[in-house]
Amino acid sequence: MVHALRRAGQRLRPGGSLISIRPHETQLPLVSVITPSRRIPVARLTTPGFDDRQSAADAALERVVAEGRFALNGIRNHRYRTLLDNPSQLRTYLELIIPPRPRFPSGRRAQLLDLWRSSPRGSKIEIAEWIVLTALRRR
Amino acid sequence: MRLLAGTIYASIRSMPAALDISAYPPDLKGRRILDVGCGDGRLTFQYAPTAREVLAFDPDRASIEDALDEQAALRVSNVDFRVGSIEHLPARGAPFDVALFSWSL
Repeated sequence: MVHALRRAGQRLRPGGSLISIRPHETQLPLVSVITPSRRIPVARLTTPGFDDRQSAADAALERVVAEGRFALNGIRNHRYRTLLDNPSQLRTYLELIIPPRPRFPSGRRAQLLDLWRSSPRGSKIEIAEWIVLTALRRR
Repeated sequence: MRLLAGTIYASIRSMPAALDISAYPPDLKGRRILDVGCGDGRLTFQYAPTAREVLAFDPDRASIEDALDEQAALRVSNVDFRVGSIEHLPARGAPFDVALFSWSL
């Protein structure tokens, strides 16, 4: 990872920005069923092996700053929501996420499907995801 | 997986609840951008219309093929999608204003 950041630094103009977009470390993606009258949280998705990657990414960012190649410009949390029409779209959505892909805890996917079958017409499946934007400035 | 492309995939890509990278400085308008780990371009296509030029790459060939299909459909001409990783990018060349690492660290 640190090699990738260094190479990016070589190709950035002085004063140019490097922005890292990563999932939030502790705020896991939340799947809910949205009916016309209420929001029903179903599960927070887990990402096996994710902690190691996060730690390595943090270390790489800190290292290029310590080396003097970049200055920390800011860190910002951001949440965004995606509305899906049905469980089939949810499956596709999760498959399209860059690995490691989030997974349902045991039994929660079945719970979602049961809830979905009993939901009124017009309901949606919502995925709320939290990300961290880290901005560095090339010195 | 690629057979799933079509209405489901297109509807997911076009969903309005998209990540708004422009909310974070710097402004990407008119910038020359290096997009590292672009995947299928779902983020790239959001900012590309206002960027000057984008070099976007990802090691996953299938994702880049999806991005190229979408690029043709959207008629986006200022993005150069390539299969590869940043380590293979020459150390010298025209400088970029912004480097984006999207889910790629």
